[in-house]
Amino acid sequence: MSRFTPKVEDATLASSTFSSLSGISLKPAYYHSILADLPEVGFFEIHAENYLSNGGPARHYLHKIREHYPLTVHGVGLSIGGETPLNIEHLKRVSKLVNELQPVVFSEHLSWSTHHSQFLNDLLPVPYDGPTLDRVCRHIEQVQEYLQRQILLENPSTYFEFTRSNMSETDFIREIAKRTGCGLLLDVNNVEVSCFNNRTNPYDYLNDFPLNAVGQMHLAGHTIDSNTTLPLKIDSHDEPVSQDVWALYQYTCVQLDALGQACPTLIERDGNLPPLTELLAEARYADTIRQTALEGNSYEQRI
Amino acid sequence: MNNEFKAALLSEDTRFYSEIDAQTLQEKEIRLNVYRNNVVVSLIDALSDIFPVTQALVGDDFFRAMAKQYLLVSPPESPIISEYGHLFSDFIRQFEAAQSLPYLADLAALEYSLLALTHDVEHATLNHEQIAEAFAQVDDPSALYLSLPPTSLLLASPFAIGSLYHAHRNDGDLRLNQVAIQEGEYLLLAKSHLVAQLHVISYQEACFFKQLLQNKKLEEALPDSDEFDLGAVLAKLIEWKLITTISDQPLAAE
Repeated sequence: MSRFTPKVEDATLASSTFSSLSGISLKPAYYHSILADLPEVGFFEIHAENYLSNGGPARHYLHKIREHYPLTVHGVGLSIGGETPLNIEHLKRVSKLVNELQPVVFSEHLSWSTHHSQFLNDLLPVPYDGPTLDRVCRHIEQVQEYLQRQILLENPSTYFEFTRSNMSETDFIREIAKRTGCGLLLDVNNVEVSCFNNRTNPYDYLNDFPLNAVGQMHLAGHTIDSNTTLPLKIDSHDEPVSQDVWALYQYTCVQLDALGQACPTLIERDGNLPPLTELLAEARYADTIRQTALEGNSYEQRI
Repeated sequence: MNNEFKAALLSEDTRFYSEIDAQTLQEKEIRLNVYRNNVVVSLIDALSDIFPVTQALVGDDFFRAMAKQYLLVSPPESPIISEYGHLFSDFIRQFEAAQSLPYLADLAALEYSLLALTHDVEHATLNHEQIAEAFAQVDDPSALYLSLPPTSLLLASPFAIGSLYHAHRNDGDLRLNQVAIQEGEYLLLAKSHLVAQLHVISYQEACFFKQLLQNKKLEEALPDSDEFDLGAVLAKLIEWKLITTISDQPLAAE
C-alpha cells in the first residue's frame, strides 16, 4: 500500500478554515433542542459507528443538523492498534459515511478493539515498541488511502503500561505522525488520566507532545475508580470537565498559540447527559480560555 | 499477544499478566479490571438498550446476569454496537434459568427485528389524499396493485408476544396482567417514516398482507373469508401510513 501524500502541515491548513468556536458531542437526546434553538456552537462531533445504518432517526436528524453546523467524525471501531488486519468491510462503511458527510475532521484512536472477528467495545492499549509502531503506521496509511484524506490520531487513556514498551508514548506518537503524515487529536483529559494512572507528570507529557501536528483537542470529565487500594482515574465521559483538565487545557492553548496553531476543541460527553445548555456553557468556557491564552501571548509579545 | 489480552478480559486467564508493568499481582489485577469492567459493562448496557422489554420482563438483575453469560460466549462481531445481539434470542432459548418463560426468546427476537427495521432504509408512503385520488381514478379498484414497504415482515408467533410488547411499552389496549400469553398471534412489523411499528393482526389480514408483499393485485390478494372486511383493513393501512404505491401495474422487480 502506497504512502498517503498529505503531510503534517495539512493539519494546520484544515484548521484554518475550521470554526474558531468549540464544539460538543452530538447525542440523540439533543436532536430536538438543537433543531429548535440552533444554538451558537462551533461544530458537532459524532461517533461514526452510530451512523452507519441505512436509515432510522439518527441519520435523519444528523442530516438536518448538518445543514446548520460543521461536523467532525470520530471513529471508535477501526481498531488501528489491532494485531489482526483491519476489518475492510467496516472501513468501507466508515469511508462511505465520511464521503457522504464531508466532515471537517475524521479522527480515530491509538488503540485496538477488534481481534480477528471479535469486537470488544473498548479502546484497548498497545505497547510502544518497533513492531507495534510499524503495524499502526501501516493501518493508518491504509485508512488514509480508503478515506482519501488525512486523519487525526488520538492519544489514548491508559490504565497500565506494557513491560515490553521501549519508547515513550509521546515519542511513539511523534514517529507515527512523521511516518504517516497523519495529524493528531490531543485529548487533554486522556493526558490527565493516563499520567495520573501511570504516575507521570502531565505537563512533562504536554511539553514532549508533538503539538505542531495537533489539529483538534478533546476535553471530557473523568471519575475515580471504585477500588480503594490503588487510586486510578477513569476516562468515563460522564462528568463535566474537571479543574485539573481545564488547567492543562489553558497551558496547552498557550503553547499552541505560540506555535500559531488554532485547535478547535470538543467538549466530549457520552453518559450522564446534562441539559444541552450545560454542555454549551462548557464549550463557551473553553472558548474563553483559548481567547485569554491568545491575548496573554500577544501581551507578552508587546512588552 | 492480543489473544492473551482478550482471554484475560473475558475469563480468568492469566497468561497476559506478564505484559502488565506493575509491582504486584494485585496491582496488575486492579489495572486490568478497569478494562474488564469497560468491556463487560458496556456490552451489558448495549444489550439492555437493544432488548428493553425483555429486560423489563425478567428484571434488571436477571437480565444483566443473562447478558453477561451471553457476551462471554458471543462477543460482538462488528463495531456497530446497535447490531449486536442477533444470537441473543437463540441463547435465551437454551438458557436454563429462563426455561420457565418459554416465550422470552421469541420476545427478544421480536425486539431485535423491530430495532433492525428501525435502522433499515425508509420508503416514502402515500398520504390520505394521494390514496383517495388513486382509487378515484379507476373504475375497478380490485384490479389495482397496492404495495407496502418491502422491508415489512409478517410473523406468526405461538405466544402473544405482540400484545406483551405493547403492554410493556404501555402503548396497547391491554395491561400486562390481561395478556393471554399462551394464545398465538400474527404480527406485522413495518416501517413508516423513521421508526418500526408493531401491529397485532388477524390471520386473514396476515394472508392479505402476504399477498400484497408478493405483488398480487387486490382481487387476488383478498382472502377467501366472509370475516374479511377490505374497507376496514385498507383504513388501517392508511392510518398506519404503510401504503407506498397504488398502481394498475405490478411493481417492477427491483
